[in-house]
Amino acid sequence: MIKRLLIANRGEVALRVIRACRELGVETVAVYSDADQRAPHVSAADRSVHIGPAAAADSYLSTTRIVDAARTSGADAVHPGYGFLSENAAFAAACERAGLIFVGPPSGTIAQMGSKIAARKLMQTAGVPVVPGEAPHDQSDEGILAIARRVGFPALVKASSGGGGKGMRRIDDAAQAIEAIQLARREAESAFGDGTLYVERVIHNPRHVEVQIFADNYDHVVHLFERECSVQRRHQKVIEESPSVIVTPRLRSRMTDAAVQAARACGYRNAGTVEFLVDASGGRGTERFYFLEMNTRLQVEHPVTEQVTGLDIVRAQLLVASGEPLPWLSPGISQRGHAIEARVYAEDPSRGFLPQAGRLLLYREPRMPGIRIDSGVEEGSEIPVQYDALIAKVIATATTRDEAIARLSCALRAFPILGVQTNISFLLRILDHPRFRAGEVDTRFLDTDGASLAEQAAPQMPDAVRAAMAQHASSLSESQDHQSPESQIPNPQSLSDPWEHLAAWRR
Amino acid sequence: MATVTSIGTGVYQVEDEGRQTVVYVAGTPGDLWAFTDGQVFHESRRSEGNAHAGLPRRSEAKAGHYEVGAPMPATVVKVLVAPGQAVRHGDTLLLVEAMKMELPIRAPADAIVKAVHCREGDLVQPDRTLVELG
Repeated sequence: MIKRLLIANRGEVALRVIRACRELGVETVAVYSDADQRAPHVSAADRSVHIGPAAAADSYLSTTRIVDAARTSGADAVHPGYGFLSENAAFAAACERAGLIFVGPPSGTIAQMGSKIAARKLMQTAGVPVVPGEAPHDQSDEGILAIARRVGFPALVKASSGGGGKGMRRIDDAAQAIEAIQLARREAESAFGDGTLYVERVIHNPRHVEVQIFADNYDHVVHLFERECSVQRRHQKVIEESPSVIVTPRLRSRMTDAAVQAARACGYRNAGTVEFLVDASGGRGTERFYFLEMNTRLQVEHPVTEQVTGLDIVRAQLLVASGEPLPWLSPGISQRGHAIEARVYAEDPSRGFLPQAGRLLLYREPRMPGIRIDSGVEEGSEIPVQYDALIAKVIATATTRDEAIARLSCALRAFPILGVQTNISFLLRILDHPRFRAGEVDTRFLDTDGASLAEQAAPQMPDAVRAAMAQHASSLSESQDHQSPESQIPNPQSLSDPWEHLAAWRR
Repeated sequence: MATVTSIGTGVYQVEDEGRQTVVYVAGTPGDLWAFTDGQVFHESRRSEGNAHAGLPRRSEAKAGHYEVGAPMPATVVKVLVAPGQAVRHGDTLLLVEAMKMELPIRAPADAIVKAVHCREGDLVQPDRTLVELG
């Protein structure tokens, strides 16, 4: 069994892994950059190692620094989390060379699936349907444009090393193609260090359905059913759920079979996800699905699968990486009830979803039945500008989809986060939308019918809010009178007794 | 008439005609934040900045003069214009990267680039003028 695990990540996923380690009695080592000295993932671990400046390239993305940190801290294994180095084959190989257990698939599998072009070829050979498209040998702007013309507009130009929507652009016509190709290439080069592009035909109004798979060293490959992640904004998932309302038992068995086949074809180990696009435009019974990509890591949305299967994916990752067989096998794995996850981001939907950086002046997670919150912050935390702006994931579980939606909605309405703008009100509007309620959302929803949900006019400030603000401001100025002028942040203990100013507030 | 009771650090119960609302408040008098029922309210004495990436953060100092900046702390990825160049409304002046997202900073109007106050790789704050147009 792994003795001491270094978590090469930050935020909520680092905490998620640390908690699984606690349960298994595995010691933990956190790493942190200058921006994260006081981050919760650091204090939650048994040990911590400073790995460099705030810029991710010199800290969380530095293979050398992380492998060094593992060596100096005496770790025997590394969990990459998601994002950062999690799908970097060179990093996995460096861990292997350093004699560290990499919690994930072998570096060769990551490399193969990391090249979306190679992955497409492999899946085609294995008989898994792929999205029609082509990978041009001529990687010039004109070469890619020529392939796009052949594939047909609208087309998607995508980074071979990409994923999660980075380095991907839609081309609707030849006129804006060159700019889109250049943007995709530049984004791909800066995000993945590889500007190789390929072109796929746009599947109209597809649903995004993915299958969680898991493989061990004993030839066991299982699936943990599907997740639907069709609520996306610019290819970034916003809301995820399991089961998917469009997946019939027959489609489920076809898709999960294909996913297991895909995992076997690439010699997969540990937890992974096979993403598909589902074309449901032909109506029930005629759905077609296409392999999109394979994610060779833990997914952000893994909790919805954990909620409906009752299984702990991260714990199983650690067991399988330690060389143990999978703790559960297919006939015993079932899908029960419904789970929905909403990603709470520090971003401002009314200003083009600008990421927000700043201090969480107030942060109180709601506690209620059927609600799980995976977060990596606490009150007073700084949201640094350098990293992804995910604050928390709120996961609601209930017997039915409607109940789960109602639960999620209640939880989000009771989740105060102050100091930065968040997308909570936007999430609530999505959950309220008739198309979402009816389960009729495809991946273009937030760009079409749902686009207006971002631009809602700010609601009028209710009198109750104005009253509470006034009370707060006056208690601050009173308490400040008794403090030295340089004390900027009021000490709650020093606030005067609230009973003393129970004054009536008049409208 | 409404009564406001502090029921915890930053938590207020407001009662108005028998109806109770819990409101969370934080910040300082010049920069107050409040939350109730899924909605955030922010009252700030500082200017709110622009509504979209790339619009001028500061309104025109004088007619036809624009000072364009980043909407948040960001790294300049690419400078696409040079002084003296004519730009049209909506043209991309700069690409900046913040939180792993690339954002185009666009011209707010047809104008001539008067000055560029940043270089590729600069980490810039939102109060800094990056491009002057006139």
